[in-house]
Amino acid sequence: MIENTANKKIISAGDSIIYNLKVLAKEKESVRRKLAVTAAKLARAAKKLAVIAKEKEVVRQKLAITAEKLKKSYETLEQKVQERTKDLEASRAKEEAILLSIGDGLLVMDENGIIIIINNAAEKLLGIKSNDALDKAFSTVIRITNDNGTIILADKHIAITTTPVILDGAVIGTIKIFRDITNEREIDKAKTEFVSLASHQLRTPLSAVNWYAEMLLAGDAGDLNPKQKKYLDEVYRSNQRMVELVNALLDVSSLELGTFVIDPEPTDVRLLAENVIDEQKSEIDIKKMKFSFSHAKNISLMQTDPKLLRMVMQNILSNAIKYTPENGRINLDISLKDEQNIMIKISDSGYGIPKNQQDKIFGKLFRADNVRDKDTDGTGLGLYIVKSIVEKSGGKIWFRSSTEKRTGSTFFVVLPHININK
Amino acid sequence: MNTNKSVLIIEDEKSLREAVVDILLLKKFLPIEARNGSEGVSLALKKHPDMILLDLIMPEMDGATALQKIRADSWGKTVPVIILTNLSAVNEQLANDVATDRLTHYLIKSDWKLHDIVKKIEEILQ
Repeated sequence: MIENTANKKIISAGDSIIYNLKVLAKEKESVRRKLAVTAAKLARAAKKLAVIAKEKEVVRQKLAITAEKLKKSYETLEQKVQERTKDLEASRAKEEAILLSIGDGLLVMDENGIIIIINNAAEKLLGIKSNDALDKAFSTVIRITNDNGTIILADKHIAITTTPVILDGAVIGTIKIFRDITNEREIDKAKTEFVSLASHQLRTPLSAVNWYAEMLLAGDAGDLNPKQKKYLDEVYRSNQRMVELVNALLDVSSLELGTFVIDPEPTDVRLLAENVIDEQKSEIDIKKMKFSFSHAKNISLMQTDPKLLRMVMQNILSNAIKYTPENGRINLDISLKDEQNIMIKISDSGYGIPKNQQDKIFGKLFRADNVRDKDTDGTGLGLYIVKSIVEKSGGKIWFRSSTEKRTGSTFFVVLPHININK
Repeated sequence: MNTNKSVLIIEDEKSLREAVVDILLLKKFLPIEARNGSEGVSLALKKHPDMILLDLIMPEMDGATALQKIRADSWGKTVPVIILTNLSAVNEQLANDVATDRLTHYLIKSDWKLHDIVKKIEEILQ
C-alpha cells in the first residue's frame, strides 16, 4: 500500500510538474508571441531601413555624379583660364611688338611724366637706350627743343606730336610721337626752288604779252582804231588778271612753305594806309563811293613789315570796293586797340557775306555765292593770304557781315604794335 | 627826254629784250643788248653804259654772278643796276645786296609796265 501511496504521491508529484510545465509552456507561448510581434516589428523596421538605405544610395550616387561633373567642369575651366591667359599673353606680346615696331618714335609717359614705354624708333631717333629712358622723367632724358617744338639732333629735324592719354575722362599720361622730317625738309626746299623757277617761267610770257600790249595801247607803234583798242584792252586786262593770279599763287605757296619772310622795320602806318587808298582812289571814284579814312592821333611809327601790312590793307580795301555797289560807303579806321596792338577796321555797305558761308570765307579759292556773278575777277585767294599773313605776324583777323539791308561787312585786323615775329 | 644815255640790257629772252630795246629807242636812249651774263659782263666792262638792266636766270652765267663780276670792277662799283627779273624768291646774298646797295634796284617784270620802267630809269639817272 505504501506503494500506492507512493504511487499516488508520485502521481500527484507528476501532476504538479505537468502543471508547472503547462504554466511554463503557456508563458513561453506568450513570450514567443511577443517575440513574434517584435520580430514582425523589426522586420517592418528593417524594411523601412532598407527603403531609406535605398534612397540614400540614390542620393549618394547622384552626389557622386555631381562631384564628377564638378570635377570635369573645374578641369575645363582650368583649361579655359590657361588658354585665355595664353591668348592674353600672346595678344599683349603682339600689341607690345606693334607698339615697339611703329616706324615713328613713340614715348609714353605716365601722369607724372615718367617714361613707361619707349619704342625702337624713338631709341634710334633720340639716340637713347630704353634702359636709360624707362622710369625716368621725360625732361631729364630729352632737353633740346627749339621754338617750333621740333628737336634738332645732329643734322636731323624731328617733329613731335604730343597727345594726352585719356581714360574715363581722366588724363593718365602722355604720348609723344617723334617723326624724322629731314626728308620732308629737303622736299620742301626742292619745292621752294621749283616754285621760284615756275614763277619765273610763268611770268616770262606774261611779261611779254603785257609789254607789247602796253606799247600798242600807248600808241608807241602808231594809232589804233577804236575796235583794235577795245580788243587789245581785253587782251591786256586778261593778261593782267593772269599776272595777279600767278602772284597770288606764289604768295600762297611761299606762305605755305614758310618761306614768306617777315621783315619788320619802323613803318609809318598812317602814311602806308594813305598810299594804299591813293592806289585805289580811281576805283572808288568810278563807283562814286563815299570814302572816309580816320585814325587815332597816336598812330605813327610801328615796327612791322610794310610789304605785308600793305598787302593786308590792299586786299581788304579792294574787296570792300569790289563787293559794294555804286554810291556805297567805305570806311577805313586805324586805332590803338591797347598798349601792344593796333586795330585796322575796314567797313563797307556792300553785298555782305551769306551767313552759311561765313566760316569758309578765309578758305583757299573760296568765293561767296552772292558775289561770284557780280565780280568775276576775284581769285578767292586774297583773304586766305591776308589771314595767313596776319596770323604769321602774331595778329588776329575777324569780321562782321550781313547780307541784309546793305549792312555790309566790317573786317577787323589786330596786329601787335611791336612785331615779335622777326 | 632826250638823254642819249646808254643802257645795257642783259636778258636771255628775245621777246622781252626786244620790247625793252624798242621802248628805250623810242625814249631816245642808246640800248646795248647782251644775251646772257657773260656777254653782259664783257659788254659792260668794255662799253661802260650809264645803266644796266639785268635779268637773273640766264644761260652761261646767271645775273647774280654777273652782278658780282661787274661790282668787282672799279668802274662797275658805281654803275646803277636794275635787276629786272621774274624771280620772287631770291637768294639771301642778293637780297642783302639790294637792301644795302643804293645802286642796285629790283623790279619784277610782270608787275611793271614798260613805261614805268623807263620812268624809273630816268629817275635813277637824274
